[in-house]
Amino acid sequence: MTPVLVVAVTVVAALLALAGLASTLARRRIGLLHLWAAAVLEALLVIQAVLAVAALVGGERPPDIPTFLGYLGGILLLPVAGVLWARSEPTRWAGTVLAVAAGAVGVMIWRLLQLWEATGG
Amino acid sequence: MAEPTDERGSTGTTAGGPGRVLVAVYGIFTLAAGARAAVQLATRFSEAPVAYLLSAFAAVVYGVATVALARGRWRLALAACSVELAGVLAVGTLSLLDRAAFPDETVWSVYGQGYLFIPLVLPVIGLLWLRRSRPGARA
Repeated sequence: MTPVLVVAVTVVAALLALAGLASTLARRRIGLLHLWAAAVLEALLVIQAVLAVAALVGGERPPDIPTFLGYLGGILLLPVAGVLWARSEPTRWAGTVLAVAAGAVGVMIWRLLQLWEATGG
Repeated sequence: MAEPTDERGSTGTTAGGPGRVLVAVYGIFTLAAGARAAVQLATRFSEAPVAYLLSAFAAVVYGVATVALARGRWRLALAACSVELAGVLAVGTLSLLDRAAFPDETVWSVYGQGYLFIPLVLPVIGLLWLRRSRPGARA
């Protein structure tokens, strides 16, 4: 869990959320920009998950491992699920769906860092 | 006026347009509440069985609401959102009155404070949306 990666994820998630809301406000469907942003977000999350798992295997132990793993796995699903759910929506609301998913990622990544850095007891 | 009316047929009515956003939010809460309840029940059930069972119940309610909204099951969605509203109000109040019974955060503790009070607002928005997307003649 590196803070740099957490910040990068937050920035991309924020951009995706803004792009999503913008397309809803402009009454437009989502475009390639949204899909790329979601892809970059997912890639960052995968890198982050691989690094976290490597650290776990290497012996580092956050105090609440089950919760940590739950967040680690759950956050990976969000951009994918968001894109799948948004793509089949032909109206301007597809952007808001992506914004919701991106917002959740933005919150969860910080919770994940918190869980990682928390000291036991 | 040859506009097809099938779009607002028996299924999918509640899952289109703004409804799709609602389903997304409900989906995320199903995931969040479900994961949280699973961890609580698996690792420290004996600490607060009632609170953790309520946590699991909340996850089930979110799951039912998500599926019902996504598949256009209007009445089921109405039931789920109503139970959800009652649940968040009841658990929220109980968690304030008897803190000892809720030692650990659940999704509905203090009206969903740990989740930016979204659990309190969500069922209200859900019910408003259901009123708007009510299947008129087909009901």
